[in-house]
Amino acid sequence: MIEKNERIRYIALLCILLAILIASFFVDGVKKSIADFITIQRSSSRLIQDFTVIGIGGALLNASLVALIGLCLVFFSSVSLAGPTIAAIFTLLGFGFFGKTPLNGLPIMAGVWVAARIARQTLGSYSLIALFGTALGPMVTYLMFETALPLSLSIPIACIAGLATGIILPAIAGTMLQQHHGYNLYNIGFSCGFIGLFVSSTLRVMKQMQPISIQWNEQGHPVLTALIPAVAMLLCSVGLISSNGSFKILFLDTRELQHLSGRLPTDYFDAVNSGAPWLNMGLLAFASFLFVLITGAPFNGPVIGGIFTVIGFGAFGKSLKNCWPIVLGVCLGILLFRKEFTDPGPILAALFATTLAPIAGQFGILAGIIAGLIHFIMVESTAAWHGGLDLYNNGFAGGLTATFIITILHWFQTNRSKEDFKL
Amino acid sequence: MKRKDFLNRLIGEVTNFLLEGNPLRLVVSLHQEDDGAHLSFFDDRKRSEQELQSIRASLNPKHTRPELAGYYGMMAGYDASWGARLKLIGWQIKSATVRNTDSGLQIDLWLGSDAFNPDNFTIEKEN
Repeated sequence: MIEKNERIRYIALLCILLAILIASFFVDGVKKSIADFITIQRSSSRLIQDFTVIGIGGALLNASLVALIGLCLVFFSSVSLAGPTIAAIFTLLGFGFFGKTPLNGLPIMAGVWVAARIARQTLGSYSLIALFGTALGPMVTYLMFETALPLSLSIPIACIAGLATGIILPAIAGTMLQQHHGYNLYNIGFSCGFIGLFVSSTLRVMKQMQPISIQWNEQGHPVLTALIPAVAMLLCSVGLISSNGSFKILFLDTRELQHLSGRLPTDYFDAVNSGAPWLNMGLLAFASFLFVLITGAPFNGPVIGGIFTVIGFGAFGKSLKNCWPIVLGVCLGILLFRKEFTDPGPILAALFATTLAPIAGQFGILAGIIAGLIHFIMVESTAAWHGGLDLYNNGFAGGLTATFIITILHWFQTNRSKEDFKL
Repeated sequence: MKRKDFLNRLIGEVTNFLLEGNPLRLVVSLHQEDDGAHLSFFDDRKRSEQELQSIRASLNPKHTRPELAGYYGMMAGYDASWGARLKLIGWQIKSATVRNTDSGLQIDLWLGSDAFNPDNFTIEKEN
C-alpha cells in the first residue's frame, strides 16, 4: 500500500514523464519521433552524443521512456519513491537526452538483478545500483553497433558484457563508497568510470577503440528551453501541495534543508515532513536554468540532462547552499584556464560538478570552491581515460577529487596529537 | 564470512558513535539467539532524554529502506573519522532499544533473518 506522500510523488513524476512523452509527438509528429527513437537506439552513445541532433521528438521520447522504465523498476521492486530513487529517475531522464537508451540500459539492469540473486538479496536492495548503473550503457551500444563484428555476434557479446558489468557493479560500488566516504553524490559514476578503464583498455589493446567524437547541438530548441522552467514551476507547486498549502512550513523546512551537508545518503524526504524537497528541486532547476541562460550555452540534450540531474539530486544531497561554492570553483577554473563557458566540457562540468556539493556542505565554502576547481581540472582528462564509455564522467572525476580531498583531510584529522589518550 | 562482515560493520559504527562521547569504559557483547543475534553496547556516559530519542529514531527508522540498506549500508563502520551515522545501521537491523543504565548508556541491537520473529528475541517491551 503506497502512502499518501508517496502517491503524490508518483503522480508528480508520471505527470512530468508523460508530458515529455506527449510533447515528443507534438514536436516532430508521431511517425518521425518513433523513427528517430529507433535511430537513437542504434546510434553511438559514448560521451558526448547529443540525441537532439538526431531529432528533438526522438530524444524526448527516448528520455521519457528510459525514465519510465526506471520508475517501473522502483515500483515493482517495492522500494520507496523518495530522495535516492527520485534522484535516479531524474538522472535517467536527463541522460536519456545523451547516452542512455532502453536498449543499452536493460542488459545492465538485468546483470544487477543476477547479482542480487547471487547475493540472495531482493532487487530492491540493489535497485539504486541497477538504476544508476545504466551509466555504462554506451559500452553496450558500442559493442553492439560500433565494432567490426557482424550483428549476429556483436549483439550477444554486447548483451553478455552488459550483464557481466551489472553483476560486478554492486561489489565495486560498495568499495568505491568507502574511498570518498559519501562525499561524491554520483558514486556509481565513480564505479562505472573504474570499470570503464578496464573495458576501454581491453578494447584499445584489441585495436577496437575508436577515438571520442562530440555531437553537440548548438541551436537548442524552444521546447527544450521551456522544459526546465515548466518542470521547475510544477515542482514548486507540488512542494506547496505537499505542505498542505502552508507557505510558512514550506519556507522553514526548505531553510532547514539548506543546513544539511548532503553527504550520502541524505534523503531530504526523510529529513523533513513537508514538500520542502520539491521546492528545493524547483529552486535548483530555476538556478541552473538562469546559470545556463547567463553563460549563453545552448539548451540542448546534454545541458538539459545536466539540469535534470541537478534537479533530481535536489531530493538527495544538493541544495542551493552546498552547490554554489562548487559551481563558483568550476567558474574560476574556466576563467583561469581561459576556456569558454559555452563549450561542452566547461558548461557540463559546471552543472555536474555539484556531485561534490557535500564537501561544501560539510567543510565550508572555501573547501567547496577548491573542490570545484580541482574537479574542473580533472574532468577535462577523465573522459579520454575510459573512452567516453561512462556517461557519469563527472561522477568519475568527482570521485577522484573527493577521494583526494577527503584523504588529505582525514590524515590531518587523525594525526593531530592533542587528544592522545589523555584524560 | 557474511555474518562476520555484517557484525563488523554494526560494531564499527556503534562503537564509533559511542567513542565520540569519550567514554572511559566501553563494552560490546554478542549473543546468539534462536532467530538471529543480539548485540549489546554499554558505556559510562548517560545521555539526556532528547539524545536517547534521537538515537532511537536513527536506529528504528519508520520505514524499511532496502535500497539504502543494501547499498549505502556498506559504508557503516568504515569511516570512523567523520562522525557516526546510526541511520546506516538502523536500516540493516530488525530492532533496537536504547536506555540509560545506572552507569551509562546501553544500546541493544537485534539482528535476524528475513523471517524475523520478534517472539524469539528478548526484546524489552518498555522500549
